Amino acid sequence: MANDSGFMERNYFLLRRLHSLTGILPIGVFLIAHLTTNSSLAWGGLALRGKHSELNTLEGGQAYFYHEVEWINSNVPHLLLIEITLWLSIAFHSVLGVYYARTGKNNTQRYAYQDNKRYKWQRISGYVGVLFIFYHVATLRWQWTFLVPGGAEWNHHFSVSTLAAALRGSYDSITFAGFVVSLFYFVGITLLVFHFANGLWTAAITWGLTVSEQAQKRWGMVCTALGAGLMLAAWSALGAAVMTDPVEARALEEKLIVEAHGEQHLLEAKEKYPGPAPTVGEEDIADK
Amino acid sequence: MEQKRVIVVGGGLAGLAAAIRIAEQDIPVDLFSMVPVKRSHSVCAQGGINAANDIAKQQGYSEYQHFDETIYGGDYLADQAPVLEMANFGPKIIDLLDRMGVPFNRTSEGYRQLRLFGGSLFKRTHFSGASTGQQLLYALDEQTRRYESEGKVTKYEFWEFLAPIIKDGKAVGIVAQDMRTMQTRSFKGDAVVMATGGCGLVFGKSTNSVICTGAAAARCYRHGVWYGNPEMIQVHPTAIPGADKCRLMSESARGEGGRVWVPKKAGDTRPGREIPEGERWYFLEERYPDYGNLVPRDIASREIFDVCVNDKMGVFGENQVYLDLTHKDREYLDNRLGAILEIYQKFVGEDPRENPMRIFPAVHYSMGGIWTTYTKGNYDPSQPHGMHNPGETPPIGTEMGLGMQLGAPNNMMTNIEGLYAFGEVNFAYHGATRLGANALLSCIFDGLYNGLSVANYVKNNGGIDAEQSLYDDAVKHEEDYSKSLIDTGSADATPETNPYTIANELGVEMTEASTVVKTGERLEKAEEKLAGLRDRFSRVRLGDAASWTNQSLSFTRATGDMLILAEAIIKGGIVRKESRGSHYRLDYPDRDDDNFMKTTVAKFEGNATRIDLHEIDTRLVKPRPRTYGKTDSKASEKKQETAAAS
Amino acid sequence: MSNTATTPATNSATAKQGRTVRFRILRCDGPGKPSYWSEFDVQPELNANVISCLKQIAEKPVMVDGKEVTPVVWDSGCLEEVCGACTMVINGKVRQSCTCLIDDYAPRDGDTITLEPMSKFPVVRDLWVDRERLFHNLKRVKAWVPIDNTYSLGPGPKESPESQQTHYKLSECMSCGCCLEACPQFTIEEDESKWNNAFIGAHAISQARLFNNHETGKQLKGERLDELAGPGGVADCGNAQNCVKVCPKEIPLTESIGAMGRATTIHKIASFFSGKK
Repeated sequence: MANDSGFMERNYFLLRRLHSLTGILPIGVFLIAHLTTNSSLAWGGLALRGKHSELNTLEGGQAYFYHEVEWINSNVPHLLLIEITLWLSIAFHSVLGVYYARTGKNNTQRYAYQDNKRYKWQRISGYVGVLFIFYHVATLRWQWTFLVPGGAEWNHHFSVSTLAAALRGSYDSITFAGFVVSLFYFVGITLLVFHFANGLWTAAITWGLTVSEQAQKRWGMVCTALGAGLMLAAWSALGAAVMTDPVEARALEEKLIVEAHGEQHLLEAKEKYPGPAPTVGEEDIADK
Repeated sequence: MEQKRVIVVGGGLAGLAAAIRIAEQDIPVDLFSMVPVKRSHSVCAQGGINAANDIAKQQGYSEYQHFDETIYGGDYLADQAPVLEMANFGPKIIDLLDRMGVPFNRTSEGYRQLRLFGGSLFKRTHFSGASTGQQLLYALDEQTRRYESEGKVTKYEFWEFLAPIIKDGKAVGIVAQDMRTMQTRSFKGDAVVMATGGCGLVFGKSTNSVICTGAAAARCYRHGVWYGNPEMIQVHPTAIPGADKCRLMSESARGEGGRVWVPKKAGDTRPGREIPEGERWYFLEERYPDYGNLVPRDIASREIFDVCVNDKMGVFGENQVYLDLTHKDREYLDNRLGAILEIYQKFVGEDPRENPMRIFPAVHYSMGGIWTTYTKGNYDPSQPHGMHNPGETPPIGTEMGLGMQLGAPNNMMTNIEGLYAFGEVNFAYHGATRLGANALLSCIFDGLYNGLSVANYVKNNGGIDAEQSLYDDAVKHEEDYSKSLIDTGSADATPETNPYTIANELGVEMTEASTVVKTGERLEKAEEKLAGLRDRFSRVRLGDAASWTNQSLSFTRATGDMLILAEAIIKGGIVRKESRGSHYRLDYPDRDDDNFMKTTVAKFEGNATRIDLHEIDTRLVKPRPRTYGKTDSKASEKKQETAAAS
Repeated sequence: MSNTATTPATNSATAKQGRTVRFRILRCDGPGKPSYWSEFDVQPELNANVISCLKQIAEKPVMVDGKEVTPVVWDSGCLEEVCGACTMVINGKVRQSCTCLIDDYAPRDGDTITLEPMSKFPVVRDLWVDRERLFHNLKRVKAWVPIDNTYSLGPGPKESPESQQTHYKLSECMSCGCCLEACPQFTIEEDESKWNNAFIGAHAISQARLFNNHETGKQLKGERLDELAGPGGVADCGNAQNCVKVCPKEIPLTESIGAMGRATTIHKIASFFSGKK
């Protein structure tokens, strides 16, 4: 009966299911990997297995994270292709998601059931999530530094210090703009983790994996546990990044580069990525 | 020549079954209903639908016995031949509904489950939880929707039937009004089937839906259509009294083992569940050892009325008795009776699985209705058959055409050619009392079996020979009447002329005068009251002059029609100076076959009701006293025979 | 039986007889006309429900300010919660008005009850809405068993009692529209030509499940699933799950949605590889 004249109508089912699928693969899977890596800023110090025994836990995390990022950027094959696939998936998921979300109308005021609130937040988190992901990728990946307070440019050789500087708004201390950016990160990652966990729950109904109320309840617990874990990872990653002093982190990164690749490599990297304008003397840093 | 069409008014079981059957004969159907057909009053039927079945038959039951029970239950007031045809056709209806997907309750092996019902000692009632009518209606609604989407049926929902259009004693169409836009228009039809249900609202609070005013039947009646046995109104023994209506507690509650009792001590203040077994008076079981709680409805109602009103033994000193299911297993109850137990819980706020239900009789069904005729079938015994005992070989088989002639064009046709009455609005099958679970059967039987008659009539008929002006005049007449009502406005409105007040007073009066116990004196008083109400109605003030969705207009118009129907009900009751089935006259407590084994036929002539008595065809079964083995009755010798059978 | 929104805690024991209850009613004279609030005071009868109070108002339609107005228009039928007609929004939530007992909703003198028409269907007048779309959606999923004819052809298929109980539950749906009114994804659509592509709602999805499970009803399974896989089909469901919470018949609507999700997935994958439409 349905009128199937247009492209959207003819491929309605395919588009709907692709929308659902892309949310899980690649986006959701990437999200898990991404948050796991980033949260190593917080827990990596405990996983160094004796290496860098001179570092405290926070510094250890930074070292671990540094190695992870270095590994990804130098060892993962076709990285750009993977990235482009991811970006296209996100764009596809976002555009259709916004289109679909606009067909509904929230009514949690009248029907304040928990499921209904999650329906509403799934859509809000989608909208905010799109903005956040765009900002996040544009600033830290595409180096649209004009959007970054303080203008820090993220670089994988100095992944910890540039990240911290971008979040804090400067290399020195947390600025007001930096605070706003950090807050935006907090909101963005929180909503996205929710969006993923809740989306995973609804996807199981959409695809028909969970039919009975009991199954939906059980799968709900699994999704809640996953969401809680990812939320912990996301918050700890953000917390650790914001608490990181970019200047100290830079020093650590330089030390690690030298250890791994020698002085020459560091000089080349420094030339390309000069880092923060020194506010204290080079010697002071060296002393530390 | 224009394509021949059939108009069906009413979208309950009878109307839908008729629409489907007629459309199946490649005759387009225009289906009219005041409500979306899925919301018709048939949804309220709860208990089940009767038909002989393999299990009961192997225990000595038969289609013939079903016929015999129905005639006996109806106290020999029904023409016998159509009832025979219906009983014989019953099993086919069940099979068909089964094919349509009705979720009948099942045995563990997957066959259709059966339950006991009033007026029978055999399990012959098929059911779907405790909302059988709903399930049956939905099945027919679905089939109708299918035909609608194939263009064979055109629905006019929220259209109100205003009048039949009759030319030279032949129905050629109807006038109807869209209840939303208020547009009034005529529709041509080569035949018109009235399937408009009962008239419970004449009695104010009944178990009926708000649409069951009987107005459509009254509108036919005003146009010269005869109305049979108007005084035969069934009062259902078990209902929950409410502020807006009385809600039915299905007979199936008793069929599944429910027991009716009152405390032996009048005015006992203890909650029912705390009263020990020895202090309970199971008056139905005591008085009717064979049938117990499953005596027919009129008898149960009278006994409850007697216990409460005469003996003042009602629970908590009020007019109510216990209907007790608390001895049954919860899961069993939910499976078999869930729907009605929920109704009780929602409206009374008590769990009927824990506490005995408090119930009282309420107006439920009209055995009377539009008078119809038929062509008799092949079965013509030399003399009427005596009582049929279980296990005896039935005198005849079950093939079609024994009772009525299959497809005869006049089957269930009114005194107006081409105008038919199906379902509750048809007076034909239930005599003076309808047995539980026979209503759904008669509705669907009418639609399917006699739907064929309608199709045959239309096919053999030469088509409509009526000028357009006839239709235009009919529309004009109705428009003028509507306008005259709307124009009354609300100026100088008083309760005296308020349509809602008039209707309320009508209901109270009718319930008091003409339900469980009647007397000539009281009926005559009611006749005077009705005259007063009619007078007030002539000065009615509407209170809503809107030309869009004017519900007050619809209600007021129906009130006028209910007054006319009420007059027929009262007059029929006055004329029938005997007691028979649901019609119990304190001043004439015995059945009088010599004078009153006849149909009271109300005819509207010169703006007034006249009652004629018409002979009944009783050539199939010999009347016998209808006692249901009551302990103090003279016929208690019969008791042993029936007891032996069970 | 679990408790739902339709079985409120009973206050009948504490409700005071002879009290006055105020009704705030959202009225509308007809399509395209503005909506406005009217207030009436009613002294409810014993065991009163919203219907009996509306009847009292109809008999004496005088507002709180003494102004006489036209009687309030509303839709009703069986008054036993099996026909679905009297559905409206009471105190902000959709439900049948016949089972809405005044003792539960307004036990104290001066308590207010608000009545609004359902918002997902066009208003006809006052509290009466036009739910034709609901029945149209049943046509979309061919919610019927395609029997050959109405002649006697023997019994239907045998069925286990467990399966019958499942079917009976689904078949109790009275097309009242509560599930659609509460659904954030089902929105009002007055343009009939758009009905076929707008979200079909839990009601029809559940009916599709009912008939897909029937031995003979299965014959149309493919057509039903094609419809449910298309625009406005089951994939539009946003899983807010309000439907199942407001359903007066406690029909497992979300399970039906899950079941039809699964069926459409399998159906589409199967037809992708089998090359059929």
